[in-house]
Amino acid sequence: MPGVERRYGLSIARMSKKTTLVEKPMKRIKLERRHFLSATAAASATIAAPSIIRPARAAGGEVNIWTYTNFVPDAFKEQFEAETGIKVNIRLVDDQGKQFSLLAAEAPNPTVDIITVAGHRFLQFIDSDLLAPLDTARITNWGNINPVFSESDWATINGDKWGAPILSGAEIFAYNTDIVSEEEARTWSTLFSDSHAGQTAYIIQDMMSIIMLYLGYDGNMVEYIGNEEKAASIVAEARDFLIENKPKVRKYYDSGAEVQQMFVNQDIVCGHAWNGPIAKLIADGFPVAMSIPDEGSYGFVYTLNVANNAPNADNAYTFLNALLASSEIGAEMSRASGYVSTYKDAQQHLSELEIRSASFPDDQLEHLQFFRAEANEMKYGLVDPAVEQIKAA
Amino acid sequence: MMGDAAVSRGDRVPFWGRTVSLPFYKGLVTFLFGSPRRQFWLLASFSIIWVLFAHLGPILQMLHVSFLDGYPPTAGREPVMTLANYERFFSESIFILPFFRTLAFASLLTAATLVITYPVAYFLARHVRRQRQLALLLLLLIPFWVGEIVRTYAIMILLGNNGAVNLLLRWLGLVDRPIPFMYTGFSLSIGIIYLTALYMLLPLYSALEKLPASYSEAAADLGAGGWTRFRRITLPLTREGIASGCTLVFLISSGYYATPVLLGGPATTVFAETVARFFHVAGDEWPTGAAFSCLMLLTALAIAGAFNRLVSPRRVGAGG
Amino acid sequence: MKRNSRAFLACAYWAFVVYLFVPLMLMVMMGFKDSKFIGFPIRSWTLEWYLGVFRDTEVLSVFGYSLLIAILSTVLSLAIGTWIAAFLNSYRTFPGRMLVFGLTLLPAVVPGIISAISLRIYARVLGIEPGLWAIVWSHAVHNVPFVVLVVIARLSTLPPSQTEAARDLGADPLIAFIRVTVPYLRPALIGAGIFCLLLSFDDFVRSFFLGGYDPTLPVLIFTRLHSGMSPEINAIATVALVLTAIVGIWAERSMRRMRKEQNA
Repeated sequence: MPGVERRYGLSIARMSKKTTLVEKPMKRIKLERRHFLSATAAASATIAAPSIIRPARAAGGEVNIWTYTNFVPDAFKEQFEAETGIKVNIRLVDDQGKQFSLLAAEAPNPTVDIITVAGHRFLQFIDSDLLAPLDTARITNWGNINPVFSESDWATINGDKWGAPILSGAEIFAYNTDIVSEEEARTWSTLFSDSHAGQTAYIIQDMMSIIMLYLGYDGNMVEYIGNEEKAASIVAEARDFLIENKPKVRKYYDSGAEVQQMFVNQDIVCGHAWNGPIAKLIADGFPVAMSIPDEGSYGFVYTLNVANNAPNADNAYTFLNALLASSEIGAEMSRASGYVSTYKDAQQHLSELEIRSASFPDDQLEHLQFFRAEANEMKYGLVDPAVEQIKAA
Repeated sequence: MMGDAAVSRGDRVPFWGRTVSLPFYKGLVTFLFGSPRRQFWLLASFSIIWVLFAHLGPILQMLHVSFLDGYPPTAGREPVMTLANYERFFSESIFILPFFRTLAFASLLTAATLVITYPVAYFLARHVRRQRQLALLLLLLIPFWVGEIVRTYAIMILLGNNGAVNLLLRWLGLVDRPIPFMYTGFSLSIGIIYLTALYMLLPLYSALEKLPASYSEAAADLGAGGWTRFRRITLPLTREGIASGCTLVFLISSGYYATPVLLGGPATTVFAETVARFFHVAGDEWPTGAAFSCLMLLTALAIAGAFNRLVSPRRVGAGG
Repeated sequence: MKRNSRAFLACAYWAFVVYLFVPLMLMVMMGFKDSKFIGFPIRSWTLEWYLGVFRDTEVLSVFGYSLLIAILSTVLSLAIGTWIAAFLNSYRTFPGRMLVFGLTLLPAVVPGIISAISLRIYARVLGIEPGLWAIVWSHAVHNVPFVVLVVIARLSTLPPSQTEAARDLGADPLIAFIRVTVPYLRPALIGAGIFCLLLSFDDFVRSFFLGGYDPTLPVLIFTRLHSGMSPEINAIATVALVLTAIVGIWAERSMRRMRKEQNA
């Protein structure tokens, strides 16, 4: 793909200027402990909704969705069912890989209409013919999505859109504020310092991209398309760096729940994580904060996609359109999941605290860029074996 | 009990009698059991069909996938048969290390499980009154009703730096810095033995329970000490239980995935993680994952088979 | 000497019980923690999570669904397992016996994820729709080996004279099997049944791959785990444990009562 190399992702930094996602520089978050049970109950009650479907035409039938827990708000689901007569069947999934395996096992006649894919994983699904291109003309509320997400370069593949962005996350540095200083949180090298040896953790696959960035390379590897040799030497360098630092890591983890538990159990004092799980820890009053270190990091976007050969494709579009109808729905999804909403104006419906736990100061956002999929085949062809080598070392 | 049977026969015979005299039933039984040959085929056909279709079928499916160069099928490309997935295992040392680590670890864990559960099973079978045995055995089964994941997280809050054990040790003043139990071979063993104990306990218990107490008593009469009696009589006579328990535990623990991922550390990567990665993360590498699974399965079965041959009691009675 | 060894064994037993139950106790306790995360320290307590389980209709219906699957798959596994065990036990000289025996044990030793994916592809080949029956089928496949192992061990100790006596009294093979063999197998069937219920109730990976839109309890727990291991999940697991215990005790009681009434 000539021409794409230099077209770097619209960074979320630019987005933040346009949409003022975050205005004040983030201060160290010190929270009063609050009884969140009542708080969340109150919050979810506020999702009062004007009719989400304009001409409430009872379509009937059903729509089958695979998604993560807390991504589709219950209140929205009930309202949608009541207004359209379409029954919403939600099947909760717990990771991208299992979703892929399941869909691949069902193809070419899947039972599912809508699935939830992270933007930079599109290619894998598209290559296996599992997704149908999204006909954005059928989604009248498409314009309610912040164009940073809906019109970004990763969102268009082979000239088509493949998913409706709903939530956005970032690879961040998370740290226990009682032990690690804000100064230390400005660099990834804290993860490899002797002072915190044996008290760090990261997702090794994701860390490979970050380390490439840390070492001064393009972690998306788009720059190296067509230069496999260079790409291989960069991956090798990143790999050797992680192997050299293996004695200092406590755990290579996989899931958000694990990193939360490690912070709670004080098994680690800092680590790499996704912002969603850490935001939940912050919201619970735990002395944890997150930052985007100066060396930079990557953002990703969860999208809802229509499956290829979806049994209820029409209902899937009706559902997507309804979900995108109001920024309040976006705010509720952000509140429940800890990820940043992709909806325009979603933060107007969030409290100060919720905005802070789900966003970053401007000077940090400048270092953030999106994951890109163009070089995935080459990148993961090199990174996956490197991950095995690090684990086996 | 005998008396009961006599009484109950009084009202049950008519039912069976009626059933037996039905012409349809008679015809059916004659048809099915008419000759030893028919009886054999009746038992054999269903058994063989079931194991072929339900047990072997999926594995053959996996074997088939392991020889393909791409699966799930990519659009517009016919998969080609290849040996490359197997070659990959032998050409890259990074796979061989977790492979042998898993086998060694599974063997160690099997031995540990045996040592831990044998006294438990022995106590239950030989030192507890028969009426209470079931209750005490059921007590041991309770934790197994709790899902693997929830139990594993409970072990994390037990062993974490800020976990129950470390808090207790600090409170007692035994340590002033927490001991990092988690994400080591130790935490992993604690978690796995928790899961495998059941598979060892039940075969051991049933072997020990069958053992007549008179054998051991006779040996005691002949002047054999406790240890000698155990070594010379109990242990050999429970060989079959030990063999089946160890086989089960070995095979099962070599395939564990979730617990090693959650409780293990950077140095304890097991082969199941390697295999699962081909299915989970890199979605287009099912064939390699399938090939590696086949290799693991074959090796584990071979080891278990050899072990069984070694340990199982010799077929014909040992004279000496 | 004898007393010493007895004391040692009793200690071993109770130490083992402690090992099994301490994590369980932590689980129950964390369900009372007023926070979204489990772990120490516990600053304030709440009953909300436990009460929440009973208000959460999804959890209760999922529990029922899991129990239904467990019971159905157990019945199926017991029937098929006993059949295969009877075959393997009766024809010990059958040339292909070792092969059939090996194939019987195969599903017990295939790693879960592999077994689940291969069953999912295979189910499609056979045309089994994902959902209740697909899960029941996959659990039965996984459980049959354990049933066969347990039943065959018991069956091999059945003196042939007993069935022969029944046959001499005029019973056909089917009657002899139902009236003599099955009662003799009872302890083995109960043990194997408990085991199957456990395995089915606890299974995540097969239920996930072969399930439809209704989750089983482990699948529900796994997906809720995505937003953190919360006291809610601990509360759900605890309530499920208590409920199954109640169902189990109730079943045992009513079975005993039925037997008494039969005998009376």
